[in-house]
Amino acid sequence: MLKNPSTGAAVLVAALALPGVVPAARAEAAPDSAQIGFKYLNYRDSQPGLKRVSVDAPSVSWLLPVAGSWSLAGSYTLDSVSGASPRWHSSISSASRMSDFRRAADLRVTKYLARSTFSFGTAYSTEHDYRSNSYSLQATFSSDDNNTTWAVGFGRALDRIDPVNGIVADEQKRTTDFMLGVTQVLTPNDIVQANLTVARGRGYYSDPYKQVDQRPRERNQSALMLRWNHHFDGLGASLRTSYRYYDDSFDVQAHTTSAEWVQPLPRGWTIAPSIRYHTQSAARFYYDPVYDPLLGEPFPPGYLANPAGFYSADHRLSAFGALTLGIKVSKAIDKNWNADLRYEIYEQRGSWRIGGTGSPGLAPFRARFMQVGVTHKF
Amino acid sequence: MACGCEVRIAGLDEASAFRLAQQAIEEVRRIENKYSRYRADSIVGRINAAAGDAPVQCDGETVSLMDYADALHASSDGLFDITSGVLRRAWDFRRARLPSVADVDAARALVGWQHVERDGRHVRLSRAGMEIDFGGFGKEYAADRAATLLIDAGCRHGFVNLGGDLRAFGPQPDGSAWRFGIQHPRQADATVASLDVVHGGLATSGDYERYFELDGVRYCHILDPRTGWPVRYWQSITVLAPLAIAAGSLSTIAMLKQAAAGDFLARSGAAWLAVGPRGEVVSSDGVGDDPAAGTVE
Repeated sequence: MLKNPSTGAAVLVAALALPGVVPAARAEAAPDSAQIGFKYLNYRDSQPGLKRVSVDAPSVSWLLPVAGSWSLAGSYTLDSVSGASPRWHSSISSASRMSDFRRAADLRVTKYLARSTFSFGTAYSTEHDYRSNSYSLQATFSSDDNNTTWAVGFGRALDRIDPVNGIVADEQKRTTDFMLGVTQVLTPNDIVQANLTVARGRGYYSDPYKQVDQRPRERNQSALMLRWNHHFDGLGASLRTSYRYYDDSFDVQAHTTSAEWVQPLPRGWTIAPSIRYHTQSAARFYYDPVYDPLLGEPFPPGYLANPAGFYSADHRLSAFGALTLGIKVSKAIDKNWNADLRYEIYEQRGSWRIGGTGSPGLAPFRARFMQVGVTHKF
Repeated sequence: MACGCEVRIAGLDEASAFRLAQQAIEEVRRIENKYSRYRADSIVGRINAAAGDAPVQCDGETVSLMDYADALHASSDGLFDITSGVLRRAWDFRRARLPSVADVDAARALVGWQHVERDGRHVRLSRAGMEIDFGGFGKEYAADRAATLLIDAGCRHGFVNLGGDLRAFGPQPDGSAWRFGIQHPRQADATVASLDVVHGGLATSGDYERYFELDGVRYCHILDPRTGWPVRYWQSITVLAPLAIAAGSLSTIAMLKQAAAGDFLARSGAAWLAVGPRGEVVSSDGVGDDPAAGTVE
């Protein structure tokens, strides 16, 4: 219908192209109702023959509009983690069982002005051997026609690590990050966004529970995220696509691309299948599962000659390709209640890498992620 | 503006509401001044004064409104034409008499969106005596702009009503819709229906706003650019659309479509309510079938 200019629907399309007749497409206005949400997350990962980590995480989040132009938002999560402690190379048997609780909370206050927003957020997270505190500042500024929005952000985090095995004590890690972004409404149906983030970190990056895990004490990261969302009038559906380039001083370079199709259906249902592909190079100190002939597992060849060098067998620092398939189904029960279910499967393999050779000798790593939630607006 | 204007803001303290209402009214005045065809120094005044002469450079907002006028012309098969205001030279509604064929033909020769030359930001009316006029949607545009300004400032309850063409931006503070009476086209003190609006634009075009009657025939101010004569079919058409400007343009085009309006409205995707030639009320599904319809206030 919209393709035929001689129908009334074209009038609305033309009207929506006028400057300043609708608020910013990104809803930069203060929220107009309070909201509370409960979510329950279950995560499991595995390698062939080994069930690894299982996480159960209920969480509560809330959003409260205050005095018309302020909002206050927060969340609280309780994780319980159990399972075999993550084994690095799949050939290394890892005997120790572990279980832990993590508590995390965050709070964000935002002030909405006519063409700008300012927000301050703080977060903390704690486990028995790990504490993290962070704060962040963010501001957005929109053009007069609200079609362009610039965002700047600044954040600092302090992590304290105090492992029970006493291998190190009172270690910490400090991270500072900056973000710069722009969002542009191209047409009533197209929004593009570019975000650049740089982070500088200093401190303890190693895994204290691994015998051979010595990483540099600094890590500088940068990431460029590009997004394009397109709305299809005929189907009433949206396609959300993204590409992210990541680079850090451990020499990990990664490319991630994703697409999600959000399809509203009758009776308040929405279904959103998604796909994401990630490929990365290995950190320069990652070592393949080939061990020193004298020391054997888990020591890399040449360890004796340079015991103070950098080594890690963490599969997250290996070269690999990974695919995530997901689906989200949500249902608006009535004006104020919404329920959703999200299910994702993830698989990582050295041989799935594109743009280089994947790390050899690692068993495929699989994870699945399931989340159910309800939100209520007041 | 020569009409009753109302900015209603609820759910805020009095001082904030007053300050924001002032800003909204200021925005309406800005548009009125900028696009008034009565002011020689307005952009419309300057374009019209240069008709048949040199192009006039326009700012971005004016270019956007020109684009909108172009889309309306295309969507209405040429019925909505912002150059058709010159037909008023032939029709004098105060004196209640029919124009001569020569007068109508002379005015019609100056009507035609195709005679508007556009090159980027430059606009030129190619025939001396031509005029453009944003009166066909300027008021609704102002209502949308003022409402958007209020939404951006955090207002969540209220509406901007410029002489019956309005844009609502949220329910009453208790969550209930705003209820607007639709003017009865033949009884000045009555309504034909009342419509509930929470968000969006509501606009009415009718043959009762400016007209004269002669020998039992009503001649209204909505003139068909093809014939130069008033339209004759609907008494009024009200449209409910996401924006006031879309509602206003759809109701005007529907009036111009005359007997073909039903099909046009049905395909527009908007909700509508029309008063037909014999005063009968017809509407899209779910509009106007509320118990308060016909209330005499």
